[in-house]
Amino acid sequence: MAGAPGDRDAAPAIETRGLGKRFGSQWALQDCSLSVPRGRVTALVGPNGAGKTTLLRLLVGLASPTAGEASVLGRAPQQSEEFLSTIGYLAQDVPLYQRLSAADHLALGAHLNARWDETAARERLSALKIPCDRPVATLSGGQRAQVGLGLALAKRPQLLLLDEPVAALDPLARRQFLVSLTAAVAEGDLSVILSSHLLHDLERVCDHVILLAASKTQICADIDGVLETHRMLVGPRRKISDIERSLDVVKATQTTNQTRLLVRLIGPILDPSWEVSEVGLEDIILAYMGQDEPLAAGPLAVMGATQ
Amino acid sequence: MNYLIWRLHRNQAFFAGAVLALMTILLLVTGITMAHDYHVFLANCAATRSCGDTGQLFSGDGAIIDMVNLTVVVPLLFGLFWGAPLLAKEFEDGTHNLVWTQGVTRGQWLRGKMLWALVAAVAWGLAMTALVSWWRYPENALSSRFSAFDIQGIVPVAYSLFAVALGIAVGSLVKRVLPAIAITLGVFVAVRVVLAIYGRPHYMTPISKLFALAGPQGPPAGAWVISNSIAGPGGQSFGESFSPGDIPLACRSGLATGKSGTLPCLVTHGFQQLVVYQPASRFWAFQGIEAAIFVVLAVALLAVAYRRVLSRDA
Repeated sequence: MAGAPGDRDAAPAIETRGLGKRFGSQWALQDCSLSVPRGRVTALVGPNGAGKTTLLRLLVGLASPTAGEASVLGRAPQQSEEFLSTIGYLAQDVPLYQRLSAADHLALGAHLNARWDETAARERLSALKIPCDRPVATLSGGQRAQVGLGLALAKRPQLLLLDEPVAALDPLARRQFLVSLTAAVAEGDLSVILSSHLLHDLERVCDHVILLAASKTQICADIDGVLETHRMLVGPRRKISDIERSLDVVKATQTTNQTRLLVRLIGPILDPSWEVSEVGLEDIILAYMGQDEPLAAGPLAVMGATQ
Repeated sequence: MNYLIWRLHRNQAFFAGAVLALMTILLLVTGITMAHDYHVFLANCAATRSCGDTGQLFSGDGAIIDMVNLTVVVPLLFGLFWGAPLLAKEFEDGTHNLVWTQGVTRGQWLRGKMLWALVAAVAWGLAMTALVSWWRYPENALSSRFSAFDIQGIVPVAYSLFAVALGIAVGSLVKRVLPAIAITLGVFVAVRVVLAIYGRPHYMTPISKLFALAGPQGPPAGAWVISNSIAGPGGQSFGESFSPGDIPLACRSGLATGKSGTLPCLVTHGFQQLVVYQPASRFWAFQGIEAAIFVVLAVALLAVAYRRVLSRDA
């Protein structure tokens, strides 16, 4: 899969085939095959324990696969300066040296990386009024996340991987972080994959989505494409097994006299008894996530899953 | 890489440097006075042709002697405060995720960290042992160098290397600072004690020699006496188990009356003392053997840590 050097510029940002990771007897990620073109901002979503973190760690080479293979920007994730210089990674909980300041971290980065854009990083931090000379332990969670993002961006990576970067932030800091991220994407030739369980925020900044559920890939597609190919159908109650013969049902909920379906379109809906409407990304994602749970009656099942 | 290590560990280096400087001043001052006392004492010996009691010479220096003997724990401190946190702190704080995704490979990072920790251990170990070896010169002349085997010569450097390597290896396995420190402490003390008690006396076959009981002859000066026991007329040792029952009946009268005739009586019955010892001339051979053992252990531990980190699914 890792092509010759000449192919690398054309290689997808991320490609995996049958990728799997087992810890002990437990598969954290299984049979994950996906391909993400370059230039996309990809949301990696899925319930807790779906393998989001594991997938990201496999992609940056912090973990090695038990099965299958991965290719990032045309290279297998590996311990080489060439590979490491192409990726920027912000791990969960933003690990930083607590006693060092943001300026210290930038100096570290300058010593550890052949390519390092310190000026831009400093400008970004000062625009956000983040004190550069105080130990990062004294900064707020939002400020630390910004420092982490600044470090990852200062590498001028081609692919930026962010693991739950906004999970611990308050709504304002979350928005600021995503604004910074969007600005960085607008600046240059950058692909981004960020994991989160907060769908709301991601929909605003992402144009591609990967859904991992039950340790497997459920969706990997452009968000526009996902929206186009999913519809909500409402019609009179009928047997689910009959419906599944003609429709690709993602989720079905039934009340006493009504059937609500979320379907993936394979062709036009011909049956006029269905009332067809468009659905939002969040509902689609939740429908996929809820697939493993027993069907509960009524739309409350969907509401419940949003917490 | 070197900048990172310096930035993260410079406080430790400053602290260790300050402690070493203090110790240097203390030992220089006391060492010069003690050496002076010793030379005055020797001059008196030569003048009066009688040296008197050497035990009185440094009787006022007990505190500083105790302090110097305490330097035996310094290599352990290197292991606890430099070795154990070196990797464990990174794993505990998750910062390995940060540094392992920068533009240096994990191998480069680890080699850099290990190298500097070991260089520091060797440098500080050397400085300390040089100081102590110099300071102990009068005492070494008066008693056996073996009595302070662990704090002079080259073994303190080997202990330091071993302690740091042990700390690094334990840290790479347990990933948390406090458990790493605790395990390093336990393993270091266990290995040192076991080797000192059960290994060291046997690095070379000790010399066994019979001497007259309470006679003027004894093991040569500076020897490390491993055991000193009473031997029967046949030359066989009683070891620790010599009891009144072993005394020939003819010699027992003195025991009951408290008179001091027992010892001459035993001598006339062919009793001797058996001394098992390592001569002073073997000091450097023993230093070399013990140092080699700890260096080999250190290398093995570093290999464990290296493999562990490079193959780790962090």
